[in-house]
Amino acid sequence: MELNDANLQTLTEYLQKTLNPDPLVRRPAEKFLESVEGNQNYALLLLTTLEKSQDEVIRVCAAVTFKNYIKRNWRIVEDEPNKISDPDRTAIKANIVNLMLTSPEQIQKQLSDAISIIGREDFPQKWPDLLTEMVNRFQGGDFHIINGVLRTAHSLFKRYRHEFKSNELWMEIKLVLDTFAQPLTELFKATIDLCQTHATDVNALKVLFSSLTLISKLFYSLNFQDLPEFFEDNMETWMTHFHNLLTLDNKLLQTDDEEEAGLLELLKSQICDNAALYAQKYDEEFQPYLPRFVTAIWNLLVTTGQEVKYDLLVSNAIQFLASVCERPHYKHLFEDQNTLTSICEKVIVPNMEFRSADEEAFEDNSEEYIIRDLEGSDIDTRRRAACDLVRGLCKFFEGPVTAIFSGYVNSMLTEYAKNPSVNWKHKDAAIYLVTSLASKAQTQKHGITQANELVNLSEFFVNHILPDLRSPNVNEFPVLKSDAIKYVMTFRSQLPKEQLLETVPLLVAHLRAESTVQHTYAAHALERLFTMRGPNNSTLISAAEMAPFTEQLLNNLFNALAILGSSENEYIMKAIMRSFSLLQEAIVPYIPTLIGQLTHKLLQVSKNPSKPHFNHYLFESLCLSIRITCKANPVSVSSFEEALFPVFTEILQSDVQEFVPYVFQVMSLLLEIHTNNIPSSYMALFPHLLQPVLWERTGNIPPLVRLLQAYLEKGGATIASSAADKIPGLLGVFQKLIASKANDHQGFYLLNSIVEHMPPESITQYRKQIFILLFQRLQSSKTTKFLKSFMVFINLYCVKYGAIALQEIFDDIQPKMFGMVLEKIVIPEVQKVSGQVEKKICAVGITKILTECPAMMDTEYTKLWPLVLQALIGLFELPEDDSIPDDEHFIDIEDTPGYQTAFSQLAFAGKKEHDPIGDAVSNPKILLAQSLHKLSTACPGRVPSMLSTSLNTEALQFLQGYLQAASVQLV
Amino acid sequence: MPTENLTDKRLSKFKNKGKDPLKMRERRVAECVELRKAQRVESILKRRNIEFQPVEEPLSPEYNTDNQQVISATIQEIIENVNSDCPERQTQGCQTARKLLSRERNPPLKEVVEAGLLSRFVEFLSRNDNPTLQFEAAWSLTNVASGTSWHTQQVVEHGAVPAFISLLASPMLNISEQAVWALGNIAGDGPSYRDALIDCNVIPALLARLTPDAPVGYLRNLTWTLSNLCRNKNPFPRFSAVQQMLPSIIQLLHHSDKSVLSDACWAISYLTDGPNERIDVIIKTGILPRLVELLTFEELAVVTPALRSIGNIVSGSDVQTQAAIDAGVLTALPKLMRHPKPNVQKEAAWAVSNIAAGPRPQIQQLITCGLLSPLVDLLKNADFKTQREAVWAVTNYTSGGTVEQVVQLVKCGGLEAILNLLTVKDAKTVLVILDAINNIFLAAEKLGEVEKLCLLVEELGGLDRIELLQNHENNTVYRAAQALIEKYFSEDAADECLKTEATETDFVFGPTEVQRRFDF
Repeated sequence: MELNDANLQTLTEYLQKTLNPDPLVRRPAEKFLESVEGNQNYALLLLTTLEKSQDEVIRVCAAVTFKNYIKRNWRIVEDEPNKISDPDRTAIKANIVNLMLTSPEQIQKQLSDAISIIGREDFPQKWPDLLTEMVNRFQGGDFHIINGVLRTAHSLFKRYRHEFKSNELWMEIKLVLDTFAQPLTELFKATIDLCQTHATDVNALKVLFSSLTLISKLFYSLNFQDLPEFFEDNMETWMTHFHNLLTLDNKLLQTDDEEEAGLLELLKSQICDNAALYAQKYDEEFQPYLPRFVTAIWNLLVTTGQEVKYDLLVSNAIQFLASVCERPHYKHLFEDQNTLTSICEKVIVPNMEFRSADEEAFEDNSEEYIIRDLEGSDIDTRRRAACDLVRGLCKFFEGPVTAIFSGYVNSMLTEYAKNPSVNWKHKDAAIYLVTSLASKAQTQKHGITQANELVNLSEFFVNHILPDLRSPNVNEFPVLKSDAIKYVMTFRSQLPKEQLLETVPLLVAHLRAESTVQHTYAAHALERLFTMRGPNNSTLISAAEMAPFTEQLLNNLFNALAILGSSENEYIMKAIMRSFSLLQEAIVPYIPTLIGQLTHKLLQVSKNPSKPHFNHYLFESLCLSIRITCKANPVSVSSFEEALFPVFTEILQSDVQEFVPYVFQVMSLLLEIHTNNIPSSYMALFPHLLQPVLWERTGNIPPLVRLLQAYLEKGGATIASSAADKIPGLLGVFQKLIASKANDHQGFYLLNSIVEHMPPESITQYRKQIFILLFQRLQSSKTTKFLKSFMVFINLYCVKYGAIALQEIFDDIQPKMFGMVLEKIVIPEVQKVSGQVEKKICAVGITKILTECPAMMDTEYTKLWPLVLQALIGLFELPEDDSIPDDEHFIDIEDTPGYQTAFSQLAFAGKKEHDPIGDAVSNPKILLAQSLHKLSTACPGRVPSMLSTSLNTEALQFLQGYLQAASVQLV
Repeated sequence: MPTENLTDKRLSKFKNKGKDPLKMRERRVAECVELRKAQRVESILKRRNIEFQPVEEPLSPEYNTDNQQVISATIQEIIENVNSDCPERQTQGCQTARKLLSRERNPPLKEVVEAGLLSRFVEFLSRNDNPTLQFEAAWSLTNVASGTSWHTQQVVEHGAVPAFISLLASPMLNISEQAVWALGNIAGDGPSYRDALIDCNVIPALLARLTPDAPVGYLRNLTWTLSNLCRNKNPFPRFSAVQQMLPSIIQLLHHSDKSVLSDACWAISYLTDGPNERIDVIIKTGILPRLVELLTFEELAVVTPALRSIGNIVSGSDVQTQAAIDAGVLTALPKLMRHPKPNVQKEAAWAVSNIAAGPRPQIQQLITCGLLSPLVDLLKNADFKTQREAVWAVTNYTSGGTVEQVVQLVKCGGLEAILNLLTVKDAKTVLVILDAINNIFLAAEKLGEVEKLCLLVEELGGLDRIELLQNHENNTVYRAAQALIEKYFSEDAADECLKTEATETDFVFGPTEVQRRFDF
């Protein structure tokens, strides 16, 4: 491709077409350009076009095309052809910097990106003069050009902030430092001088300040990996100027925009970052400068306004102070009483004030307000930063800081008392201050777990919180009421029980408040109080203590759901769930009414499920209603089915994906309550449960397995007799599940239920295939979880069908398979089996293998016999899995295992652990002893000899113990 | 001056002795390039003699000016005096030169060399008839040799080495001492002059002066020169030379003078900064208990090199590390980990990180000797350099420790501390922490407590931070964070080889093909 006018003309035409909105024109043009881009000079034609074309649009288009071309082709990939000729590469590098710097901003940006892509590949080795070429431009004095250079340098150097230390990287940085650091420093000084010269020229200042911001960013990149010698030697220069810039203000640069950060804020934020970098990584060298920065930053804070545009700067600046004041060797910077007082007074208190923006959020955007205030998503807010600073200062100065703030709190409360309706914000700030002062450690679960002992929380509660809670007009001063409720919630672990009990009816009353924040907080506070544990691990507040308020509580909670804006309020729904769980049988009289309300709610939200937590607690509440009522009266299960099945049918038919897993769980719960046969209404649904589409959603799997298990338990025989054609489909589900490492245990749950509850003859024809599938999975990925489930299953099979059946089916699939499974899997792995029931199944199964399987005595498997016995004794004597049974009442959504799983398990739909062996074997050790005794009498002399030659002494001792306990002897 | 960072060089030998090759500990890569200033804690390679300025005879202004004309004039005067035949003028000239070279700032070393004065100075060294002249010449040459390599080279190339070695035997103590000093400067230049001096038998000549009645000032110089003869790598000083010096250095390690102790310790630190055979030579001398004792000294100048030596030794083999442990190093380390000087903390943490890379019984000793709590304190409060070392210690510990040992560390707050450091501004450190978290999860897997650990990590704010790291600009960090999230905080994918066919209504049951042969 010649670099001539004709080609330039053609290129221009095609570029033009690539801008055409009609894809029929645009696409072929794009294709054409891509097809010729491999030709020599293509890139140069683009560069010439973007430089010389008369059409501004074409110029920009050429620049974008050029950048994308570089992005796709510049990198030389090993074993692939070089996509850009060497002369083109040389020519591009020779021209691009100059071109970039002399182009208008839109094109400059594209070329600057292209340079950094090229630089990433070629710099420094294959582009040695790039830096010198850039540095030379610093002297030109044209800040349009200088900013271009700085921007390009920034895109070249910013990777130093995140790449690993390596010899190659550091050599590059060293080279950059050698050529760039000194000129950059000179430019920095010159730019600052120019700011003085042009102090009244707003346009010049704007350009100069963008330069300063870019220079500060470059400083950050160049200093990131380690403290370079050059910058250590020139720390005085840089830090002095940074310090001055922090303290600088210029009316001309102030923006009117209240939201968007201006140039001054951006520069100062970057300087705060630079100071924070030095303070974090180069503490020793930075120490002499740090005090000045502390002072400057706190002065900055004192003088910065309340506008939203300063929020990030302010919160960064406060966080900087917070991180410094915690370090032992900077303690002295803060310990002076005047310093502390002024930080408290001028930095902390003003940033804790309730701003008009907060007030707007409280009223109009309560959901966001609650999330920020309650759930701690306030990381970048001023209040949070101020709160962190209080906590930081308290590390060394708890006494003085508490004293200073006590004074403030008192004076703010006095102000409030003078004229509450005008000065209520003072009390809000006072409460916030007390809270942040007193909080030392906090968890979502327990609120404040460790408090500042110098703050008398109970006294403050009595004098300032209780009066607001008691106020007869619940709708007056909603912010203060919410504060008071939050105080109770926050310090619930610190307040004595009597005070909490005194609060409960007041909180119940606040459920009626119009303010969303206020009644939400009341619901949340009650819910939290109900989860508190008392001395004997029961709930702190008992159902009996709640008796006088039960009706009021339930009424107010359900009525609160009717308040505008709270119809799907998750806090209220959670409080309903927790109240049910706490009150237990006390709710039974109310259930007939409440179940109607809950069902109605379910129908409403199923139209458009949008609040996952609300929905979850709604289903939990349904489960609780069912459990609590049916516990007292199992027959009432039919009335629940009557109320719920129409809604459930609707949900399943319209496939409300979010709710389907819940429906299955509730159905399982209902089905499990039935004592005899499976109702026909359930059987009609059975074929639908096997539909592959349902199983494709991971969230459906656990509840569906659970439901199928309930079907098998209650209706194994019914399925065999009336739905035998569905058995392959059922086994297909099992097959699908064991293929997945995540779900294989679910597959085993299903398989275990099939083996346990289906009539044996109904599955005879499938048995061999089942085992082949298991072996295939074992062969392809033998995870611990799979092994554990596999061992439980084969032992269950052995218990159910006998050891001979197990051995025969194995050896039928492949000769000696039984021995291989024992040797490679059971013997080495059986100790991994966890869970009491699982261990028991394995123990009984293995006992049968040892004592009821002739092949173990008469074939080459005999050599495995003592090893299997030893493994069994090991299984007995391993320390029991000491996991504590979950105390259901306290379970939280956040507590359920399996983070981020699509499946939301309902805690209150939980089922009891099932023991398929049950009372048939009460002590497996005794069973082993008795079975061995039986075996030994059948073939006298053999058992003792196998024991004495092959069992280790320790195992033998344990075995003697079992034999003694069973009062049998081996012969 | 070489600007290499000695610490990192040592890191290059980071122990790597996992029994299972898949579970080998992380090695630290040697870095040759340095961005930092050379370490200030190191002992000085070369020294100029600027002491002994009699109070009553302050330097006259002509010696203390940067005015080139004045300097030229002074040098001209020196040339004339030194080249004259009159002994008084020679002495006078030498003395002027010495004063010029002894001023505190900008001594005109180059000018003196370029004035061609060195050959005369070297000549004067053999003037046993005129001790004052000998002394002034020796002093001047000492100071020239204290400059850059080029300056040292000039002194050597003018034949000063044999002359100085002869002067060691001078009956005049001050002259012998000056020779010791000059030779120290030459030895400090680097391995080649060091070995050249050894070839000239400098060691026996030096050791001959090591007598019980030698004054302390003299001993200080002598020890320093010996330490420079032990110093530098590529190549190391040869074994025979080390063996020659070692008994005396060991003897000096029991001296009462702090400065002597300091340089003797530095000598040991240089000798241990090498392959395991070199460390073995030191251990065999039985000096370990004394080194450990020196760790407890108040003087930073002693503690620093003693700790460096110990750090080098525990970076050796398991047996060598055990020798240090048996000598009591673990009882000394906690105090050093709480030392007010950040550099001491850093070196102590480095030593701990190497011990933590050892076998389980050694990890157990870290626990028994109470090192976990100071380690966690360092993670929480120390400066960045130290935190980085402490993070390595945690990662090594968790990769080699037993489940119980890992649990112990978590109980001591180790997990919380490293989770808090996930926001640190250094990609490598973040990656090393993610590695440690992964190790802790592996332990939890063995205990069947992954879910509990997930919750704990979440409660400690770690999950938020790990999730944030999925946006990290560094790909390796981002992938490591993602891997953790995927492995422990989300579901996994299906086994492709067990595909189940499906119709509208059912899954099709039955193996798709029968495996040829099962073998588990």
